Amino acid sequence: METILYLIAYPPLWQVLILGFVGALLVAMVAIWFERKAVARVQRRIGPYWASPRLGGFMMIVADLIRYATQQVIIPTTVDKIAFLLTPVAVLVVTILPLAFIPLSPHELYWPVASMEYSLLIALALTTLPPLLTAVLGWASSNKFSIIGSLRESYVITAYELVAVLAILAAAASTLSFNIAYIVEAQQPVKWLAILNPLAFLAAFLAVLMSTSAFPFEIPESEHEVVAGPYTEYSGILYVLNMGGGYIRRFIYAIIIALVFLGGWAPYTPGLDPFTGFIIPSLIVLVKASIIVLIMSFLRAVYGRYRLDQALDAAWRLALPLALLGLGWSIVLAYMNLI
Amino acid sequence: MKESPIGTSSSGMLEGQKLQGMVVKRVEKELYEIFIGPQHPGSGHMRIIVRLDGDVIVEADPDIGYVHRTMEKLSEVREWLKPIPLLERMTIIDACNATVPYVNALEKLMDKSPPPRASYLRVLLCEINRVASHLYGFGIFGVFLGHSTMYMWTFGDREIFVDLAEILTGARLTHSYPIPGGVRRDMPQDFPEMARRAVRYMRGKLEEYRRIFLDNPVIVKRLEGVGVISRNKAAELGIVGPNARASGIRYDVRLAEPYEVYDELDFEIPVFEEGDSLARTWIRVEEIKQSLSIIEQAVDWLERHKGEPIIPKEDYDKLPKLHKEVYEKTGRVKLLPVNATMKIPAGKAIARGEMGRGEIIYYVESDGGTTPYRVRVVTPSARNAIVFKYIVPGHRLMDLPAIYGSIDYFPPEADR
Repeated sequence: METILYLIAYPPLWQVLILGFVGALLVAMVAIWFERKAVARVQRRIGPYWASPRLGGFMMIVADLIRYATQQVIIPTTVDKIAFLLTPVAVLVVTILPLAFIPLSPHELYWPVASMEYSLLIALALTTLPPLLTAVLGWASSNKFSIIGSLRESYVITAYELVAVLAILAAAASTLSFNIAYIVEAQQPVKWLAILNPLAFLAAFLAVLMSTSAFPFEIPESEHEVVAGPYTEYSGILYVLNMGGGYIRRFIYAIIIALVFLGGWAPYTPGLDPFTGFIIPSLIVLVKASIIVLIMSFLRAVYGRYRLDQALDAAWRLALPLALLGLGWSIVLAYMNLI
Repeated sequence: MKESPIGTSSSGMLEGQKLQGMVVKRVEKELYEIFIGPQHPGSGHMRIIVRLDGDVIVEADPDIGYVHRTMEKLSEVREWLKPIPLLERMTIIDACNATVPYVNALEKLMDKSPPPRASYLRVLLCEINRVASHLYGFGIFGVFLGHSTMYMWTFGDREIFVDLAEILTGARLTHSYPIPGGVRRDMPQDFPEMARRAVRYMRGKLEEYRRIFLDNPVIVKRLEGVGVISRNKAAELGIVGPNARASGIRYDVRLAEPYEVYDELDFEIPVFEEGDSLARTWIRVEEIKQSLSIIEQAVDWLERHKGEPIIPKEDYDKLPKLHKEVYEKTGRVKLLPVNATMKIPAGKAIARGEMGRGEIIYYVESDGGTTPYRVRVVTPSARNAIVFKYIVPGHRLMDLPAIYGSIDYFPPEADR
């Protein structure tokens, strides 16, 4: 029994395949469904319904997925074929990659990688890779709108990347460790950094909004100037990989935020066996991360989109000082031994 | 950037050839040219050729004409009444406002004037149309800025006014309501109460729009100081309607040359000074408020004057007995076949009207036959299209939808 459970919960398998691909796919589907349903409610509509009235129309998302999966993939003759075909796949893989360096249990036994001393740094570094591939998408597409979209993406990277890294590293500064597992344990039971250091939390939230082009920062794929931005030429399953990639990236960021700011599995004290020691804590993190994703998705109903230069302005003038203040406050927290 | 008519071009190309209406443009290597439209989610039935220097637009060329349906020419081969259902299709969301001036022009030629009740009914439908048209523009504007909630709300609320029009005329959009000398149908008995309820509802909704859209910090940031048209510039470019009034020009045909019964009604012409996209948005809210007030006044008047005729006495006398009965019982005017082939005395007439988007002008010429000799239409959107050329350059690419949406440009109306 123990062995079977351990096999299921074999950390790399559980984390990257089950939690990573399956969990991310599910969360992306739930997020899309929630976005459509909640926004419809605000807008006095019903949203998806007829595909499965009892599930609130959730099967509509599955139907969409089937349609995209079976749709003809059109590859324009002018594109750079290898880059055009490989980049969406690479985006997905690279997006999931940080999960391999995120511990979802305090016990070393259940870490996917043996050492987690620098896990926060490595995970953060890996989250910065997908936007670069977005630039490749635009270049490979050989479409003017794609190129403008990619350029916008690369502008936005310069603005939010620093903010995201600074704000999330504030957690490391206050706990004097880069080990995510240690950071979470330091927040037990409710000394959550989101409460102790709301500035850094807010900055991180803003940066994630920008990096995953959520409203009000949905700029790279802003429909009314650049059609679908970098994804303009994509169709069928390749388009889904791109669009889903955005949601999954939001999910990965949300997991990091849930761990370092919302205490990860915090009120719960994990046991030693695979079930209480690994599966339950990881599910708690999953739920917390999902809530963050859903809040981010809901903003679509409230905001329009900022102009590119205004978003950059907001990032440099508002979010960056906020992140720096958060970092400073973290150092104060560490100095006063508050955490 | 530099442009010059062929023949005087300094580029040396095609020197000596003179092609009317053609311009030669030098290819600028540093500029990035994108074609927004005609198949683009943010273009409408038109193309805007945008040349970008980085993120800044240095030149914008509105390329209109994709929905040209030769309405002026078609009007010349149709009997006098038939252009009414044709012409209202150029601005299908603002149909009554588009056809009332045409009917007014015919009335001038025929020396006929509608009874007051018919005039009030026309004004009532015109204002219902104006509210619906502004709500439509608002919705498109909202989604241009990525604000899908505004889009859904305004399109949902527009439905109320479209329904009102349907109850009044029998058609949601293409009412064909005014006819020379009157209107086709009288108002149903319970219409005033419905109209008042719609007005009350809409007043509450405008407050909600303000909270989610007009005072939304993101939207204010996108619109404030964007696409500024100064008073002088607006006058120079000949911009009309709410766009001119947002720039401080106090000009409205309902005020300058009252037609129908607008001089008997109590309403204000809102004027803003700023001339930016935000002012152009606000002015439409204010106009909706005024239109709601006009709807109330018109409905009140119509209720006080029940049973008055909606066509002139001489027309009524000509009706056969059966048609008279239908008219007395249901308030519907059944047109006689003779109306289809009626002849209008030779002459020329000009009539103007204020549509949701601005001033519409009709020039109608008759040679005494059964069809117009010439119908010339100048629509507000045709006059506002020039904004793209002269106001958009200098702004960023993301400002283009903010300006496009705020001037409420409607390509089918411009192309006729």
